[in-house]
Amino acid sequence: MRMLFAQAPAVKLDLAKKLLLLNWPFLALVTAIVLVGIAALYSVAGGSFDPWASRQVLRYCFGLALLFAIAFSDIRWWLKGAYPLFLLALALMALVPLIGVESGGARRWLGVGEASFQPSEMMKIALVLAIARYYQWLPPEKIWRPDALIPPLLMIGVPALLALSQPDLGTAALFAIIGAGMMFLAGVSWFYFAGAIAGVIVALPHAWEMLHDYQKERVLTFFDPERDPLGSGYHILQSKIAIGSGGLSGKGFMNGTQAQLNFLPEKHTDFIFTMFSEEMGFVGAVVLLALYLLALAFITFMALRCRSMFAKLVAGGMGLTLFAYVFINVAMVTGLVPVVGVPLPLVSYGGTSMLTMMIGLGFVLNAHVNRRVTFRQSELGGLW
Amino acid sequence: MSKSRALHYGAKKKPDYARRQSYRFSRRALLVGGAQAGLFGLLGWRLHQLQIKDASDYRLLSDENRLMVQLVAPSRGSIRDRTGALLAEDKENLRLLVLPAFCKSLPETLDRLSRIVPISRATRDRVKRAAVRQSGYYPVLVAEGLTWRQFALLNVLAPQIPGLQTDRSAYRKYYHARPMAHLVGYVGMAGKGEVDLDPVMRLPGFRAGPVGRERTFDEELRGTPGTQKFEVDSRGRVVRELGATPSTPGKDLVLSIDHHLQTMAQERLKEHRVASVVVLDVETGGILALASTPTFDPNDVVFKVDPKAWARIARAQDQPLQNRAIRGQYPPGSTFKVVTALAGLHAGVIDARETMRCPGVYRLGRARFRCWKAHGGGINVHQAIKQSCDVYFYETAKRMGIDHLAAVARHLGMGRVYDCGLPGQKQGIIPDVAWKRAHLMEPWYGGETVIAGIGQGFVSSTPLQLAVMARGSPPAAPYCRSSSCLRTTPDPEWPLLQLDPGHLEIVRRGMIGVVNEPGGTARRSALEIPDVLMAGKTGTSQVVNARNEHKLSPYERETHALFVAYAPADKPRYAAACVVEHGGGGSRAAAPIVKDVMTEALLRDAAKRPVFAAASTGTGSGRIAVVEDGG
Repeated sequence: MRMLFAQAPAVKLDLAKKLLLLNWPFLALVTAIVLVGIAALYSVAGGSFDPWASRQVLRYCFGLALLFAIAFSDIRWWLKGAYPLFLLALALMALVPLIGVESGGARRWLGVGEASFQPSEMMKIALVLAIARYYQWLPPEKIWRPDALIPPLLMIGVPALLALSQPDLGTAALFAIIGAGMMFLAGVSWFYFAGAIAGVIVALPHAWEMLHDYQKERVLTFFDPERDPLGSGYHILQSKIAIGSGGLSGKGFMNGTQAQLNFLPEKHTDFIFTMFSEEMGFVGAVVLLALYLLALAFITFMALRCRSMFAKLVAGGMGLTLFAYVFINVAMVTGLVPVVGVPLPLVSYGGTSMLTMMIGLGFVLNAHVNRRVTFRQSELGGLW
Repeated sequence: MSKSRALHYGAKKKPDYARRQSYRFSRRALLVGGAQAGLFGLLGWRLHQLQIKDASDYRLLSDENRLMVQLVAPSRGSIRDRTGALLAEDKENLRLLVLPAFCKSLPETLDRLSRIVPISRATRDRVKRAAVRQSGYYPVLVAEGLTWRQFALLNVLAPQIPGLQTDRSAYRKYYHARPMAHLVGYVGMAGKGEVDLDPVMRLPGFRAGPVGRERTFDEELRGTPGTQKFEVDSRGRVVRELGATPSTPGKDLVLSIDHHLQTMAQERLKEHRVASVVVLDVETGGILALASTPTFDPNDVVFKVDPKAWARIARAQDQPLQNRAIRGQYPPGSTFKVVTALAGLHAGVIDARETMRCPGVYRLGRARFRCWKAHGGGINVHQAIKQSCDVYFYETAKRMGIDHLAAVARHLGMGRVYDCGLPGQKQGIIPDVAWKRAHLMEPWYGGETVIAGIGQGFVSSTPLQLAVMARGSPPAAPYCRSSSCLRTTPDPEWPLLQLDPGHLEIVRRGMIGVVNEPGGTARRSALEIPDVLMAGKTGTSQVVNARNEHKLSPYERETHALFVAYAPADKPRYAAACVVEHGGGGSRAAAPIVKDVMTEALLRDAAKRPVFAAASTGTGSGRIAVVEDGG
């Protein structure tokens, strides 16, 4: 009670104070991961900053500017803006099937050419904010009630269904993982999760029927790569050969024959981890994974130190996003899960995923900077 | 549960749910963090499995035997004319490539290679630039079209020259290339949009047909790609082929064109800067020749392409890439009088007996329309066609009105594009009141009807349309593919009228008079074959008007020369049209060409020979061969 309502009106932070409060070691860690990615892109291009590494540097700089802008912004704006942002992202996602641009059999983009963007990327951020916003004002004693589950389940379910219709299985799964993880963090009872898992097991055969042929094909070739050694199985097989042949210490920087000889598909985007571990070996791959794990640990502890539920959940949710990306990508290229087309965050070449991740980390730092801030309902007022 | 207990036992103090939630968050966040670490451990275990435990297996796979899958571009179907002569086929293209990353020194490698294959300075620069610009692991093309001797030598030397690669792809070879250029078209790399649709298009050896027949029948000619599996060594060299699924070659295509006639027609056009001629089979609508000058050699633009030569062709003054026979739109001039005469007879505003006086000028209100000469009195419809009297047709057009004239012109096939496998046809214009309102948003004026009567003003048409008009017997649409001659059902969109055969006969006799009677405008172009008469109509269409007069060069001010004809006059079998841009008078420039081409057509009598039957191309799905009835 005291913690929630008896605080001084607001902890006013000026920029100088915010600069001091920022988690600089964490930022250095992120930069280190990005630098690994740039080195990898330099190598993929056959020892050239063109065409990928140089643009990745620019994107990182742009992402960094966004990260700072968000980290130093007032957390109250985001608490207020969480629902409108979510609804906007939802509306844009709903627009995609109507006016979206089709590419490679999927309709995921709005706009044209360089100016195109994926509303599902925006949704990844907006979903975290919206769920955090929901649990911020949900009276803690009501968390266990079944009717309190309905809004967050809708918040997860509607975007996930929209993503499935695009069709984008990977993003839909990501929404589900992030959403469920945040509900768990917020304190929803274990029993619901047990029930949900049981429900998924029952529903799985039906979901299988709803999958597109190419998605079924991906899952089937995952279980048996030899099924289609020229198609998607070829990717997994070549990726495994590349990683395996890297051995303990790797083939050396810019000497990954599998990647350099074009055996690898999408080696600068989704399969960059493959190329990296071929050239840097087990040691390099484990070091990169350790960097990610360290970053995740940083995020967890930043979340623990936040005072408000909103900030805790924003940091925790973004951490889950980062984790889900890294895990799915690495598991995918090592042949543990089917190829679903998820990039390695901060490392894979691509403007969209880099910006999404930097914005997400911006929110983590925003939560951290505002860790002592608490909110009063009167201060925000109204539905929004 | 703890909550309910607290409530149940009626604790005095309300439990601090917020604090509990905060603690629960901490517990669960640590739990999630632990799970994340555990799952990362799983990844680490997986990496250990791949990179430590099974590393030697994978290294073996990577170093010794590597699987490489390549798509194999299918060979494109060949194109033949009606006699079976090859017009386009795929030829083997032996190529030399280098992988710069494997060369010890690129200049040195090129020096060694130049002892076998001449490498120009320009090529050398291009290869070096490519090696710098892209990853050294992308092959760079050094030379193509190698001889077998060079190819064999290179393959023998390959183990000693690292980075050397050879391959066998295909290129397109065109025969009778210059005369056939506009008809057959040419192939090229697929456009960017197409690449997105079908990844096969990225294959270096894969070509789509952007122009001409190569485009119209592209899907049939293209075939489907196969795959090839190789084992390659760590330097990217092929160790052995592991088997392949063959590509399916594209289907062959037989055209209705007769290449002898086509070549002859092209040859005959040479003396003019821009000209075109079309010859049709009157009975079936088959296009026997369709020549346009200036032309180009498609072999120059598909194989060993010199960018400068390509630019020269693409930007040449008279645009050799344009097919004038279907894309040139000209005022039909006096050739249109055939239509006006027929329309006038059909409308009943003139008859065979009525005569008019031609004082050399025609007055409509205050406007004056000139005739090319004062023909004097006694001009009936026969004389008017024969001597090409403008005044007679001014009056005829004025009497019946533009809509009537336009309907008959459309009946004869003008003002439309034909579904005959010729892409890029222009439509031409057959104006009427509704057309002018829709396109210019202006009412129709009487003076415009008068000049439309002699094929000037808004009226325009392509040489192909003129030939179709000269054929005079719809509805068989023209076509250029031999098997299409089976199509006898009338085109539903072709607006047909019920014309009186007697009227047609009157006009036909006029056209015979043009060529064969004293005083006819094309008297000098009568056929020299005994007992065979040609019927025709000259046209000289004016280009200059008050608005553009001062802008044009002397060449551009010159009138277009036109001639339409059919033969034999008593039993029409061939119809032809010729347009010489800025060629002067129709009787002087266009009629002699048609006379020669028509003579050739009649002597060869291509329409009566059986059409070549293409052999099935091995896949069983070969094309349906159609033999035209000898008649």
